Amino acid sequence: MSIEERIREIIANIVHVEKDILTRESTFKDIKADSLDMVQALVAVEDEYDIEIPDEDAQNFQTFGDFIAYVENHVAEKEKS
Amino acid sequence: MSTEGKVALVTGSGRGIGRATALKLASQGTDIIVNFFRRREAAEQTARDIEAMGVKAEVIRANVGDPAKIDEMFDAIDAKFGRLDILINNAASGVGRSILDVDVKAWDWTMNINARAALLCAQRAAKLMEKGSIIVNISSLGSSFAWPTYAAVGISKAALEALTRYLAIELAPRGIHVNAVAASAVDTEALRFYIREGFVKDNRQATPAGRMVAPEDVANAVAFLCSEEAFMIRGQTIIVDGGTSVAPFIIPKESEL
Repeated sequence: MSIEERIREIIANIVHVEKDILTRESTFKDIKADSLDMVQALVAVEDEYDIEIPDEDAQNFQTFGDFIAYVENHVAEKEKS
Repeated sequence: MSTEGKVALVTGSGRGIGRATALKLASQGTDIIVNFFRRREAAEQTARDIEAMGVKAEVIRANVGDPAKIDEMFDAIDAKFGRLDILINNAASGVGRSILDVDVKAWDWTMNINARAALLCAQRAAKLMEKGSIIVNISSLGSSFAWPTYAAVGISKAALEALTRYLAIELAPRGIHVNAVAASAVDTEALRFYIREGFVKDNRQATPAGRMVAPEDVANAVAFLCSEEAFMIRGQTIIVDGGTSVAPFIIPKESEL
């Protein structure tokens, strides 16, 4: 499963929405996710890929596309090292 | 009062009360394990400030709401220091909601971080502690009062205070001293999740001591509970609130302060 697909699945499970409605342009606000949903999504993705996403970075995500790109970059960096 | 040469774990010590407590203990010559979850930069700043005082600082990331992460943290402490003298259960989280909107997810999240984590950390810490070691849990006056949107946190803090009493009695034969400190609204970043506009001014006016409680006020009480002078205090929750809980409805005029 691609990182994008897995992140969509994780977010859909936490916020209780259909994953098909999540696009790279969607935001947490679009799917009415609250701050607890957001932090739980971050933690679940961190655990899934064994990476760290500090709040300082997460607060810059405008869309799920930003979130996915960040994770893709960090997973690629981790694999390189 | 001295905790010189001791090793202390302060959970959630990147910011606020945890940071102030870590710095206070470090200023007394204590090596500090700085635990954080979401803000690495803040934790690393705390560690730099601790090292500037000439003691050791070790930064460990762990979500204390996750038992596996607590185990990993204590494994790391055991490997690095081989002992622990002081545990400050400070890390806290929660949701600002009316009690009718506290769902299972919000309840579990809050209880797991604010109450269960203190139990699990105390259980692991006790194995690394010798006679004379200290555990202090950081509570909140919201355990005894009902503040708007504070239900989930307030209930978890009531559980934490009960946990403090049970730990104090069951760990007393091993020479481990357990107490709690409960503050009223403390001027920290976390407070901004709960307060309405004008709260700070109203709070200051409603506090007989004339100002809001600062993180350092809580840290001073924690440091006292970590000292030999507090030997006979066990299972108690020390209130640091500038007098608000004694006179909760008295709002002095500016001119009287």
